[in-house]
Amino acid sequence: MTTISRRLFPLILAGALFLLAGCARMAALPSLPESHPESLAVGQQVNCLECHEDQQKGSLKSFSAFSHTAVFVRNHRFYAQSDDRLCASCHKRSFCADCHTNQVEMKPSLKYGNRPDREMPHRGDYLTIHKIEGKIDPASCYRCHGRGNNERCISCHR
Amino acid sequence: MKVFLCRLLPLSTLLTIPASSWALTSVESTTILRLEQRDAAGSKKDVAPLTQFLGLDLDRLSGSSLSLHFYGWGRLDLAEKSYNTDQGGGSVTYGYLQYRPRDANAELRLGRFFVHEGIVNEQVDGVGARSDLPFGLAISAFGGATVHTVNLPGEESDGKGDGLFGGRVSYRYRGVVEVGLSGVYESAAPSLATHAGGNHRLVGGDLWLAPHSAVELTGHSSYNTETSQVAEHSYLLNVRPVQELTVSARYEEERDRSYFYTWALFSGAALDPADRSRSIGASASYRIRKGELFAEYRRYKRELGTADRFGGEAKFSFADNRVRAGGGYHYLRADQSFAISGTQSPSYHAVRGYLMTDTPSYFGALDLTAYLFKEKIFGRKSAWEGTASGGYHLTRALALSGDVAYGSNPQFSDEVRAVVRLTYNMAYDGKGGTK
Repeated sequence: MTTISRRLFPLILAGALFLLAGCARMAALPSLPESHPESLAVGQQVNCLECHEDQQKGSLKSFSAFSHTAVFVRNHRFYAQSDDRLCASCHKRSFCADCHTNQVEMKPSLKYGNRPDREMPHRGDYLTIHKIEGKIDPASCYRCHGRGNNERCISCHR
Repeated sequence: MKVFLCRLLPLSTLLTIPASSWALTSVESTTILRLEQRDAAGSKKDVAPLTQFLGLDLDRLSGSSLSLHFYGWGRLDLAEKSYNTDQGGGSVTYGYLQYRPRDANAELRLGRFFVHEGIVNEQVDGVGARSDLPFGLAISAFGGATVHTVNLPGEESDGKGDGLFGGRVSYRYRGVVEVGLSGVYESAAPSLATHAGGNHRLVGGDLWLAPHSAVELTGHSSYNTETSQVAEHSYLLNVRPVQELTVSARYEEERDRSYFYTWALFSGAALDPADRSRSIGASASYRIRKGELFAEYRRYKRELGTADRFGGEAKFSFADNRVRAGGGYHYLRADQSFAISGTQSPSYHAVRGYLMTDTPSYFGALDLTAYLFKEKIFGRKSAWEGTASGGYHLTRALALSGDVAYGSNPQFSDEVRAVVRLTYNMAYDGKGGTK
């Protein structure tokens, strides 16, 4: 056994014991419900406070973390990045894929032309506008098109 | 061969379960036929792509905690090629088997899936697992093959390495604080002939803090281990002084070279390490009895110059949500350095309004989006697009609808489009709202 291995052994052993102890207690840890117990209205911004009056004392996050105001919708990436299980309680997984995907040819607003009430990117003539927005805030492009879903970019940027 | 196997993996999960043991939870099918006439600089082109989207959720497979989730699409051009040089196309967005035990928010995934964990936002063909641990701790990990996209122009790759792994550990104290450490490591990026590419390797931390039920701070910072420099700070502060009002402030900063390092299409790795992009903003949302009012301001600062955006939106619903209406106005004021090449100013007004109705039998919508430029862009002072849509619910799950759209803009002198859409959207388990 090398010197490094001898030094790491106690750490690995402690980690394994910690993991074992953790697994033994995991059965006592509650899970988020797989789905919301009641159907929620389609096409209506949700006000979670109607039922969830105070989540601050429980293990869940507070109201503002998932109540769907216009502020929330514009900033939903902050929440989805840390706990998409909460999103999946109400939304089908395909709900995210309507806009977020690795390869798509059709603008979401075209696919859902009958749902103008939904917040969707690139409405109208974004072909012209993207030449301005891309210079002002390239990070907003990169988040969706940087390493995935770049086929549309490549058709012109050669 | 490797690419073929990567594509096969998500589909192969479909074959692992006997058909008799499927418990279909929901199915979502949208068939869209587009008829478009594009007129770019006098060159007219008629396209008629037929696109099929399909989503499936199969839960409680064999009565167990196993489930299967699939979403993908395919397109066939019935007239001229509509998108690229191929007459057809398609993609599996995700397709994975999931095992979800009853306790500890544990989850195991196999197949193609997205990973959103702290600073990690990836799509992978492989395995992912996560679980809560005692004392407020949680852990997640994933690994597998990178999901590739189309090759970069003049290259034989998309600039990504072939494999990646990563994960996150976090600590949460009740509903007050959560902190996480996460990272992603991708195998060596391929050498590129004409683009500057780099290895995709990031570590970072994320925070969620709610010292009071009316105050919430969340965000993350990432560090690029290839450039040995911070890549991104992104933070959001929400304050809710009264139930109806939410006020937020947002701060974002990217060190261009480190954040865009693997954006080979725009040679991110070749950017100046000193360049930064920053934006600060504030927004407020106020709920009224039948709707919501929203206002926002944002300021952008780059080496190129500065820009300001401000505006507001309002949305209302009437007749028990069967009639919905909304509209908004935004103005972007930006320095001339952000203007499109050959034009005088990038500043523009954006105006939008819509009206829709959705009843158990029929539905319809009118939607208008217009951009009014401060100075002409390619000889045009504006760009606009109007859409009229109508449809009928044939059954509770099946709907037939159609759109007609007309637009005029600096890119296409005229853009006429018709859409025929057949939608089947059925949830079998009474799960909460789907859209």
